[in-house]
Amino acid sequence: MALLGGYSAGSFPDYEVQGAKKVHFSPYADNGGSVMAIAGEDYAIIAADSRLSTGFSIFTREQQKLFPLSNTTVLGCSGCWCDTLTLTRILQARMQMYKHEHHKELTTPATAQMLSTMLYYKRFFPYYISNILAGLDENGKGCVYSYDPIGHCERSNFRAGGSAGALLQPLLDNQIGYQNQEGVDKTPLPQDRALAILKDVFISAAERDIYTGDGIFINIITKDGIKADKFDLRKD
Amino acid sequence: MESQPGLRLAGKTWTIGACGQNTSVPVLCMFLTRSEYDRGVNTFSPEGRLLQLEYANQAIKLGCTAIGISTSEGVVLAVEKRVTSPLMEPTTIEKIVEIDKHIGCASSGFMADSRTLIDRARVECQNHWFIYNEKMTVESAAQAVSNLAIQFGDSDDDGSAMSRPFGVAILFAGIDEHGPQLFHMDPSGTFVQFDAMAIGSGSEGAQQSLQEVYHKSMTLKEAITSVLTILKQVMEEKLSDTNIEVMTMTPGKMFYMFTKEELQEVIKDIA
Amino acid sequence: MSILAYNGGAIIAMKGKNCVAIAADRRFGVQAQTISCDFDKIFEMGPHLYLGLPGLATDTITVMERLRFRLNLYELKEDRKIHPKTFSSMISNLLYEKRFGPYFVEPIVAGLDPVTFEPFVCNMDLIGCPNEPEDFVVGGTCTEQLYGMCEVLYEPNLEPDDLFETVSQALVNACDRDAISGWGAIVYIIEKDKVTIRHLKTRMD
Repeated sequence: MALLGGYSAGSFPDYEVQGAKKVHFSPYADNGGSVMAIAGEDYAIIAADSRLSTGFSIFTREQQKLFPLSNTTVLGCSGCWCDTLTLTRILQARMQMYKHEHHKELTTPATAQMLSTMLYYKRFFPYYISNILAGLDENGKGCVYSYDPIGHCERSNFRAGGSAGALLQPLLDNQIGYQNQEGVDKTPLPQDRALAILKDVFISAAERDIYTGDGIFINIITKDGIKADKFDLRKD
Repeated sequence: MESQPGLRLAGKTWTIGACGQNTSVPVLCMFLTRSEYDRGVNTFSPEGRLLQLEYANQAIKLGCTAIGISTSEGVVLAVEKRVTSPLMEPTTIEKIVEIDKHIGCASSGFMADSRTLIDRARVECQNHWFIYNEKMTVESAAQAVSNLAIQFGDSDDDGSAMSRPFGVAILFAGIDEHGPQLFHMDPSGTFVQFDAMAIGSGSEGAQQSLQEVYHKSMTLKEAITSVLTILKQVMEEKLSDTNIEVMTMTPGKMFYMFTKEELQEVIKDIA
Repeated sequence: MSILAYNGGAIIAMKGKNCVAIAADRRFGVQAQTISCDFDKIFEMGPHLYLGLPGLATDTITVMERLRFRLNLYELKEDRKIHPKTFSSMISNLLYEKRFGPYFVEPIVAGLDPVTFEPFVCNMDLIGCPNEPEDFVVGGTCTEQLYGMCEVLYEPNLEPDDLFETVSQALVNACDRDAISGWGAIVYIIEKDKVTIRHLKTRMD
C-alpha cells in the first residue's frame, strides 16, 4: 500500500497501476442550519432557519426543519440532513407504535427520553444532528430539551443549537435567563416578547453565520395546538 | 403429531395416526375428542376449544386462592399460602410480588411458571421507564405479560417458545395516571380489568361473595376487611400471620406488603 | 486544538459617540487549567491608543514589547503621536514579517485620532490582515459568542456610559459560554479628555 501510494503517482509514472485508486468516502455531511426554542409558562416556541446548504452552495432557501411529532411536541433538527430524515421517520414510527401499544399520546418528556435512547443506540455511528425538542409537559408548562449527537439530554427553558448555536446562546442567557443583569424582575416571559427576542437573535445570527439565513419557520405550541409562522431573514 | 385426524361425526370412524401408520378405529367421538385433541396446543378440538388451555385453567383451580379488590383509594390483594409442612419456611413462599413501585401482582397456579411471567413484567416496566422515563401503565404491563403468555406452541423465529401454556393466573394491582386498577390474566393471555376478582381453588365461591360485598364507594379499609373475610371463608385453615399475604397499592405508599404485626392486626379485626 | 486557544481569552472593542471602548477577560490558563485571574491582554500604547492581544500568552507579551520598541522609535523619529490607523499598519507589518512562522495573536486596536479624536477600531488575523469596520471588532476563543452578542446589543453613537454597559454585557455573557475565557474582566472607555478603567466581577467557573 505504501509502495503504491508513495511512488506510483509521482515518482514513477511508468509504473502507475491502473484502477488502483484510493477512494475516500465520508458518511457525514454538514448541511448547516440553526434551531432555537424558548419555553414559557403555558407555551413553547421553536424556530429553525430555512437554509439547507453544503459548504458555499445552497440547496434550498425554504427547507422546513421543524417536525411536529404530536399535538404538543415539535422537534427541530440541524446538521446532517440525511440523518435528520432518517431519524425523524423512525421517530414518527415510534410515536405511532406507542399510540397503538399504550392507547395514549406520547408526552413531551417521554418523547425526550425516547429520543435520548434512540440517539445513544447509535453511540458508535451517531446521527450527526443537533436536536432541540420543544413542547408542553404533563402540567401544560412549556419545556425545551436539547441533545448532543449521542443522546445527552438536558431540559431547560431556552436553547439554541446548530451552526449559529454559539452566537445565539449567550444572548438567550442574557435576555431570557437575565444572566449578568442586576435589579430586573424575573417575571415569566410573555409569548410576544419571546417571539420578538427569537426573531432578533436569528437576524443577528444570519449576519455572521453563512449557514444560517433565508428565513425561519416558527412553531408556537400551546394547549390549543401548534401554530405555524414564517419570518424572512437576509438571503445572501 | 404425524396424524391427520379426519373427522367424521359421532359414532362414525375416527382416524388415528401413530408413527406414520394410519389405522381406522371405530369409536365414540365423545371419548376421543378429549384424548386426541389435547396432545398439542396447535390443534383446535372440533368444538373449537384448545384443550391444553382448559387444562391449564384446571391447574389454576388447584392453586391457592388469591383475591383482589380495587377501590378509589387503592387496590388490595390477598392470597392464601399453603404451608404443607411445619418444617417449611413460610416466608419463602412468595405469591404476591412487586413488579415495579406502582404495580404488584398475585399469582395462582404453577409458581415456577409465574416467575417467568413476572420476570417479563419487571423487565418490560424497567424498559418502559428506560425508554420513556415514565411509569408503565397497568394495562400495558398486563399486555406485555400477555404477549409472552400467548407464545406457547411450536418455537418460532424468536427461538424457543414455551411448549405449553403457562399454568398460572395473575392479578395485577397497580396505580397509574388512570388511578388504582386491578387486572386479571389467564393462561391464554386474555386480560380484563376488574373491580374485584378472585383466582385459585376458592375462586368460584370467592367471586360470588365479592359480587355481594363490592360497591363503588368502598374504602380501602373496607376492602381489606372484605378480602380477608372472603379468604377466611374459602380457606380450609384458620387465618394466621404465616398462611396469608396481604398487599396494598395506594398513592401514598405504593406497593406495600403487610408485616406480620399488621397481618395479626387485620386478622383480629375480622375475627 | 489550535495553539491560538492554548491559553484562552477574549477581547472586544467597540466604537461609540466620540469615544471607543476596549475590554478583555483576565484569565491566563493552560488549556483547561486556570493559572491566574489578573492577566493583562490590553496594553496602553499611547494616551488614546490601546492594544489588545488575544491568543498565545507568550506571544501576547513578545508582540507587545516588539511593538512598543517600534512605536518608541516611530515617535522619536516623527516627534508626534501615532495615529491608530498607522499603528495598525505597523502591527500588520510586524506580523507579516513572520508570515511563515507567525506569532499566535490576533491583535485588536482601539483608539482615538490624535488630532480629530475620531474613534477607531481594528482587528487582524495572526499574519496581519487588517479589518476596520464601522462598529465593533472581537477576538479570542469565543468570537462566535461575541459576534452573536454584539450583533444584537450594538447601536451606533452610544454615549460612554451606554457603551460601557453594552461592551461589558457582550463580553461577560460571551465569556460565560466559553470554558477558557472569563474569570474577571477589564473595560477601558477612551474619551478625548479621559480614559476610564473599570474592573468587572464575573462568575468564576
